[in-house]
Amino acid sequence: MSRFERQSFLGRDSEARLDAATVGIIGLGGGGSHMVQQFAHIGIGGQVDVDPDHITDNNTNRLIGGTLRDVRDATLKITIAERLIRGLQPHARIVAVPDKWQNATEHLKHCDLILGAVDGFIEREQIERFARRHLIPYIDIGMDVHDLGEHGHLVAGQVILSMPGFPCLRCCGFITDERLKLEAARYGAAGGRPQVVWPNGVLASTAVGLGVQLITSWFSNPPAFTYLEYDGNRGTVSASAHVAALKGRVCPHHPSEETGDPFFDIREHMRRFESTPGRLTFWRRLFRLPPKH
Amino acid sequence: MNFRFKITSVLLATVRIDLHRPHPFAHERVGFISAGLSAVGSDVLILARSYRPVADKDYLRDASVGAMMGPEAIRKALQWAMQDGHALFHVHTHGGRGVPQFSGIDMRENAKFVPDFCKVAPQCVHGSIVLSDDAARGQVWLDRKRPHTFIAQFTEVGAPLRTWSAA
Repeated sequence: MSRFERQSFLGRDSEARLDAATVGIIGLGGGGSHMVQQFAHIGIGGQVDVDPDHITDNNTNRLIGGTLRDVRDATLKITIAERLIRGLQPHARIVAVPDKWQNATEHLKHCDLILGAVDGFIEREQIERFARRHLIPYIDIGMDVHDLGEHGHLVAGQVILSMPGFPCLRCCGFITDERLKLEAARYGAAGGRPQVVWPNGVLASTAVGLGVQLITSWFSNPPAFTYLEYDGNRGTVSASAHVAALKGRVCPHHPSEETGDPFFDIREHMRRFESTPGRLTFWRRLFRLPPKH
Repeated sequence: MNFRFKITSVLLATVRIDLHRPHPFAHERVGFISAGLSAVGSDVLILARSYRPVADKDYLRDASVGAMMGPEAIRKALQWAMQDGHALFHVHTHGGRGVPQFSGIDMRENAKFVPDFCKVAPQCVHGSIVLSDDAARGQVWLDRKRPHTFIAQFTEVGAPLRTWSAA
């Protein structure tokens, strides 16, 4: 009996599809740690998990899998993630990068899907641009707590599925020049916003659901683009008005002509990989000769 | 060195619809897909950008093949590859289901003209794609001297994501 028996409705070959898939998760805090856990539960075979930080005391209100002992040991968030995954998927293909995502692009290029749980707009735009360049669907999540004065607080958030060729975060009005300028004026710091575990859970679960829709075929015609708004005070997740307004629109911000690396040169690539020191050709292996330098 | 070809569902659907249009005299249609490239370790991603059909007037009458491009069609494609620095892939369809095979004629004709693209845009790989109604197979040339290799994997990027092995 498979541990995935109860999710067989995802499709006859869903177990194989999920196992073959590799997802990239950028930011392993409140949102990302939920996604790591859920993808491990559901049987995703490969994860590229990226976060440069270790857990701190004020992460423990929301970082799934993190313990007080981890705080004491200053455990990296990627180590906590890997421990969590291995407990469910001992043979998972895990690439854990304790660095900024910009230094993990070689690994992220392999991903079938990238999910971002980062704080800043500048970073979101850069991740989306990278994903579009490599024809990788990107799912962005984020939450915020707004002070309503005498009315208390509003917990809100969003989940956006950005598919190459379809509307992007800019098309949705989620990323604007004004927001980027404001953040740049703060030297890219998004600030230590209030965060709690349950909205992160709702948003991450919604994102995982969208991701699984893309990988398996448990219903026909899943959306290629969506913008879902979370109202934490009412406890609702609903499609933004932008979804209907942007129907059929081709994204003007990420032209298809921009795919790939503009500096790629196959001649350089061949030189690099055909003369890598230490690589042994068939004949050198056969005659046990040292590598040619 | 393995090659993985990625194309959006929207672009792939556009190509298929175009290739299924009847031609005044040719039995099938052909076109070109442009692509950008990116290294992943020693492997290469081929990332489809856009599609241009061969114009009706640029076909030659040749009853021995499904479609024969004239020199003007090839000249335009060479110009496109050179000016914009694209990797260029000739494309046609065999219809049907499953991963298609190149015919003997496909292999012979592709080998005649595809390596010329390496002359005008030598920084890129170039090749040929044959489609079915739900899959594809592809040849790649790295330069003019070496024999072609095959694209190992295709991914159709859309909802849902579809990946198939084609080597």
